[in-house]
Amino acid sequence: MNETVHDENVGKWTMVIDLDQCTGCQACVTACSMENNVAFVGEADAAYGRGMHWIRVVREWNGEMPDLTADFRPVMCQQCGEAPCEPVCPVFASTKSVPEQINLQVYNRCIGTRYCGNNCPYIARTFNWFDYERPEPLNFQLNPDVTVRSRGVMEKCTFCVQRIRRGEEDANAEGRPVHDGDVTPACAQACPAQAITFGDITDPESRVAKLARSARAERFLEEVGTEPRVIYLKGNGKVVREG
Amino acid sequence: MSDKLTRREFLKIAAVGTATASVLTGCGTAARYVTRKPYQDMPEYTLPGRSTFYATTCRECPAACGLIVRTVEGRAVKVEGNPNHPVNHGRTCSRGQATLQGLYNPDRLDGPISQSGGSPASPMTWDAAVEIVKGALISGGFTFLLGQTPHHLTDLISEISTAFGAPPPLNYGALGMFEGRATLLQAATALFGLPILPQFDLANADVILSFGANFLETWQSPVAYTRDYATMRGGKSGQRGYLIQFEPRMSLTAANADEWIPVAPGTEGLVAQALGKLVAEQMGSPVPAAFASADVAAAAQASGVAETELRRLARVFANSPRKLALPGGGALGHTNGLEAAQAILFLNVLAGNVDQPGGMSFQPLAAYNQGAAAATAFTGMQELVGRMQRGELKALFIHGFNPVFELPKSLGFTEALANVPLVISFASFPDETVALADYVFPDHTPLESWGYQKIAVGSEQAALSGSQPVVVPLYDTKATADVLLAALQAAGDNSLIAKVPYTDEVDFLQKKLAPLASEDGFYTAVTPKGFWAKWLQFGGWWKTGPSTMPLFAVNDQPLAVGVPEFSGGGEFFLLPYPHPHLGDGSQANRPWLQETPDQTTTVMWGTWVAIHPETADRLGVTDDDVVRVASSTGEIEASVYRYPGIRLDAAAIPFGQGHTALGRFAEGRGANPLAVVDSKLNAAGDLAFGATKVTITPTGKKQKLARYESRVGVYGYDK
Ligand code: SF4
Ligand code: SF4
Repeated sequence: MNETVHDENVGKWTMVIDLDQCTGCQACVTACSMENNVAFVGEADAAYGRGMHWIRVVREWNGEMPDLTADFRPVMCQQCGEAPCEPVCPVFASTKSVPEQINLQVYNRCIGTRYCGNNCPYIARTFNWFDYERPEPLNFQLNPDVTVRSRGVMEKCTFCVQRIRRGEEDANAEGRPVHDGDVTPACAQACPAQAITFGDITDPESRVAKLARSARAERFLEEVGTEPRVIYLKGNGKVVREG
Repeated sequence: MSDKLTRREFLKIAAVGTATASVLTGCGTAARYVTRKPYQDMPEYTLPGRSTFYATTCRECPAACGLIVRTVEGRAVKVEGNPNHPVNHGRTCSRGQATLQGLYNPDRLDGPISQSGGSPASPMTWDAAVEIVKGALISGGFTFLLGQTPHHLTDLISEISTAFGAPPPLNYGALGMFEGRATLLQAATALFGLPILPQFDLANADVILSFGANFLETWQSPVAYTRDYATMRGGKSGQRGYLIQFEPRMSLTAANADEWIPVAPGTEGLVAQALGKLVAEQMGSPVPAAFASADVAAAAQASGVAETELRRLARVFANSPRKLALPGGGALGHTNGLEAAQAILFLNVLAGNVDQPGGMSFQPLAAYNQGAAAATAFTGMQELVGRMQRGELKALFIHGFNPVFELPKSLGFTEALANVPLVISFASFPDETVALADYVFPDHTPLESWGYQKIAVGSEQAALSGSQPVVVPLYDTKATADVLLAALQAAGDNSLIAKVPYTDEVDFLQKKLAPLASEDGFYTAVTPKGFWAKWLQFGGWWKTGPSTMPLFAVNDQPLAVGVPEFSGGGEFFLLPYPHPHLGDGSQANRPWLQETPDQTTTVMWGTWVAIHPETADRLGVTDDDVVRVASSTGEIEASVYRYPGIRLDAAAIPFGQGHTALGRFAEGRGANPLAVVDSKLNAAGDLAFGATKVTITPTGKKQKLARYESRVGVYGYDK
């Protein structure tokens, strides 16, 4: 863990992804798209690199056959404490939400300069080059809690802020604090390997706080100083048994 | 939506929502039917702005994971796993996630149509449809061809077939075929005397030898096995588990394995038998008869795995406290597949893991899960095609199966279909078989349907998963069970009605479920209504604790695993396998599954031929070059993907694309490898889908594959 995190930037909502458990199955990618009204762009645009996926599962080959191995790492917006996308936005569309301490994209401020996307070291941001069609009745499945984005705006993972809000409102209505496990983003909920954990890291008893203390905890591209709020638990590596 | 609603006979929907899977809503729970109308007259528990959740079952593959579907004001907006469900514990795969894109697919069939004798499709009424079905049932000579059909409907059709003295329904599908399900059932029968599907406790295993079992993608019950795999990685068995995958292509499962061993295609059984012999020696136990004839040197020679390596693997396996062997489809889909399955299953017997933690077990046989794993062998399809060719079939009913797409072209199903005077399809989507049917009487899609699914594997507890409509049917579709029952009643033969005494689908379900109330399930109910309410609320019924069945007999017989035989003189072994996101191909019309990248190649929307970069160099082709893949029975074209994880003598092509129908997202995209697969069999009479050799020739054309990974280059990002 990075001990130099500034106090005011200590992430509240934190995601932990165990790379030893992640199989690279991509269920999180589909689940995220279903929850967040992410548009599909079709073959031609997808081939051109304009896919709107909020999560990309990076597959990395190591070595050569027969000692070839593959590593998988789901990468979404890392909800940086020091977010490179924020200071470059001329209209403050990429901005920090103070209560949730997450990085949000304000769609109706965004004027589409795409500076934020250029500046994101994780390539976590995708741009709506067009108004993507959802032939009827595919639009029936749109999640009413999530804005449908139109042409010309940037978008990215929000840590399912609508679910955070719902969890907070429900807890408020019951006059209690939000408990660990009350808020689960769509990716974590779907993941068949249970590789993704989500919670409040300032609660030392939360599952994410415990996992963040693991010796395997690391942050992706930590060295560029972004202070991400996504923590990866390193894979255990492959050690060939001799029997 | 609203104009459709006024024309439609409202489907009666029992609405027992759950706020979460474990909390009763407390409204209208005991009602048998509740009519749910949207908007103007919503049930009292539907609050604008709040969601209502319904428990049901995923029908995208045979695993039958439990779902909780979030609905808002009469529309389904999100599918989640059911946290209480014994198969998936609240999780789903990508296919389960995208099931709403089936329900709301823009290319659905919206009512019964007639296109008899090749006439253009014209709409008809359901009354007329029932008359057609009635006529077909009465005149006899019919067969039901089923696939991913819900189990309650399969049971009802069995009863109807029996009542009419017709042959029992056939059950086939691409997923079962690529798993070698019929082969595995026969191997279990030969060894244990029972045609039951073994399940495997990966979670508690320490060393797993997987012979081509793609359990992280499509094999048997992928969500359950992925959870098990992650638990095994977490070291539940004491130390971090160890997975060894024997497979000529690096699948996603192989990519996650500790060791990937690219054996020569079709030699998995030889390796299993050789390992069996070496393991027995290593363990100091007598060599079982099944392994006695193993020739270690010959197996090493055939498979390309050095003898020293085989000995090391045998030591790793023998010295492990909890060892497990998995009979995957890749090993079974060869001419020696039945013997391979027996050898692999017998490794588990040798390991002494039957019914042990981390071992192989069997779901208890009970009335409620009878036929859960039923699978017709490929010979059953050949016989059917024979009957069709000879004009012996008066009518063919097809449900949950797209034979024109899912069967190898070499079988000649499409041509034989022309000899059947009456073909009735119950498909929800305009697939390739629908195009050749005389009538199409579309069933509701799964999320609009009642039913139950039997759990064959993947659950600790014996279970029956429940389905209920989560929304009002969108179109003028009708439950196939109701169509059949209406036809039966219209026939007016009281002796028949006495044999199939159900008023409608829900009545059938309730009568079938009644005995469960007195079984030892995790909930009890005093009245049938109470049981039904809980059934709907929890999304099924299951036992409280683990339930397995001990084995009564193990036949250790001498086993001769032959050298695999191949058809065609091509240079390359063709490795067809189910696309991880498109399954049996019926999911190719879900745009988000098309756009979810393949896990290992990151390709979206298309079909690729995976060949090793060295092979590509030798053939003088590179990425995106279109090649012609040809066997003695057919040829297809697809773009090359230079894949580092495949043997130099093999080419892998995913199955699922290549549709000529099925709507705008599926049609005219990619190619179907089953056009090239020859109909060779194994000793179980199952298709040896891996026994075709092909030639690969460049065409000079180029067709760019949509790859997710290429985006890195587009944005100028390189690590
Ligand atoms: S769903 Fe889970 S296992 Fe699958 S890629 Fe995402 S994080 Fe990995
Ligand atoms: S494994 Fe099969 S049943 Fe389970 S969610 Fe995936 S497609 Fe549905």
